[in-house]
Amino acid sequence: MDAVLSVNGLSKRFSGLTAVAHVSFELGRGEILGLIGPNGAGKTTLVNLISGALEPSDGELVFEGRSIGGLPPFRRAHLGIGRTFQIMRPFPGLTVRDNVAVGALFGTGGGERDLAKARAIAHEKLDFVGLARVADRPADALGGPDRKRLELAKALAMNPRLLLLDEVMAGLNLSELEEVIAIIRKVRDGGVSVLVIEHVMKAIRSLSDRLLVLHHGEMIAEGTPEHVLEDPAVVEAYLGKRRE
Amino acid sequence: MRARVVVTLCVVVAVLLAGVPWIASPATIEFGINMLLLAALAQSWNIIGGYTGYPSFGNSVFYGLGSYGTAVAMLSWQLPFGVGLVVGAVIAVVFALLLGRAVLRLRGHYFAICTLGVAEVMTAIVSNLEITGRNQGLVLPLLKGNVLFYELSLALVVVATLVVWWIARSRFGFGLVAIRENEEAAASMGVDTTRYKIFAFAISAAIGAVAGGIHAYWITFIDPVSAFDIGLNVKMIIMAVFGGPGSILGPVVGAFVLSAISEVLSSEISTVAGLFFGIVIVVAVVFMPRGIADLLRRFHTYRWRYFAANVRATRV
Repeated sequence: MDAVLSVNGLSKRFSGLTAVAHVSFELGRGEILGLIGPNGAGKTTLVNLISGALEPSDGELVFEGRSIGGLPPFRRAHLGIGRTFQIMRPFPGLTVRDNVAVGALFGTGGGERDLAKARAIAHEKLDFVGLARVADRPADALGGPDRKRLELAKALAMNPRLLLLDEVMAGLNLSELEEVIAIIRKVRDGGVSVLVIEHVMKAIRSLSDRLLVLHHGEMIAEGTPEHVLEDPAVVEAYLGKRRE
Repeated sequence: MRARVVVTLCVVVAVLLAGVPWIASPATIEFGINMLLLAALAQSWNIIGGYTGYPSFGNSVFYGLGSYGTAVAMLSWQLPFGVGLVVGAVIAVVFALLLGRAVLRLRGHYFAICTLGVAEVMTAIVSNLEITGRNQGLVLPLLKGNVLFYELSLALVVVATLVVWWIARSRFGFGLVAIRENEEAAASMGVDTTRYKIFAFAISAAIGAVAGGIHAYWITFIDPVSAFDIGLNVKMIIMAVFGGPGSILGPVVGAFVLSAISEVLSSEISTVAGLFFGIVIVVAVVFMPRGIADLLRRFHTYRWRYFAANVRATRV
């Protein structure tokens, strides 16, 4: 497999608490890898380690053949790693369009230098996620589902090669869910590798090529969605042990 | 279209202001110099405080370094005034680059308190150096007349405003605003936050230092306490915030309006002027917390509800 991202023995300890413990996996080019696990399993911590928001206590991260451990977040963004935040982080004082333009102005390869071009890219991405109608509104005027799409558009404007999606589907209704799933598929079809954290099981099952399950920071299962979701260890992690 | 009207208006106002010394009394010109220097300082604070979102109390340090840099260059090294201004600005910029590396890691209140401390430290250092005249200060050569200082101050306001105008429409400025709005998100989107913040601090320092240099030569006397006066930094913040932090013209308008109000109050009701000035500030913060710039932008849509909404938002 042509690995875009290789994670080898990655650990993160917060003074005594091990949030991520010896996690190793590979993410192939154009693959959608689903990351699931109960609350507090270490999913967001893992994304923070990959994006550079946190430094690992141990282990190695290789992105497109190059070790990225120790690189600050903005350098990783320049290399092509884009992310969304679970707790949405729009730039509230900017319009929706300019929020996305920031992604285009910086992002992969340092981004677009020209403001007008960046705004054009932003508009294209807003169109893509279905937010073009609110492009001129301030970002803090958006409601929950639209903010999720804004997060997605901002990350897409960076023109990433690896997209880390932290719960972009939480709180969406069924039709919104299907729209976002279609968007993520289209992004993947453009050659982008995607790591997606999600609680909505129906979505993650239909979206992911492969699933990875974290529990108490450890990887307890990996494989196709059908295979993983039948795994007794995974069922136990989510529902507890069956009483005899 | 509207932008063109505003630009034309600004040019007209600048030209009219440039003509003031030929018709006004010396007292008016002196008031004008103070007002223009405050406008330049408010604009310099706007870059680090308004655009980048770092509430700096260190800008009076840049002002003081500019004053002393210019004075020392003229007195000890016999350099002309123009070169002295450059020396002051270079010292302030170098200081901002070094200081910024350390203090721009802090955010919010912590950043404010730390920069406040730096101003106190600078007073102490300058009070004990031979070259800066210890705590007696320095006396600069006297240059008669106010016109040169008035025009220089006006030029500084224009340059500072042009710099902010460029920032507001550049990639650099977008990076700064992204840092102000959400630094972690900005970094994850590829903004080199450390470098951007330090650059913003340095640009702010250069403008503040030139203002200090002009003021020093105009007043012809500087001492550590008045050169590094925190009160001046507070004024910059009040004027920038009153006018609209993070806007291009807001801080200049804020400085003009508040200077005028303060002048009228102190000449009409000298004893309680400070009290009334305080009331003006409090009323402004409650009714228009985002400054004149925001008021002008939104008043025509919201009308009087604009003030009601702000009062509600501040939960007075």
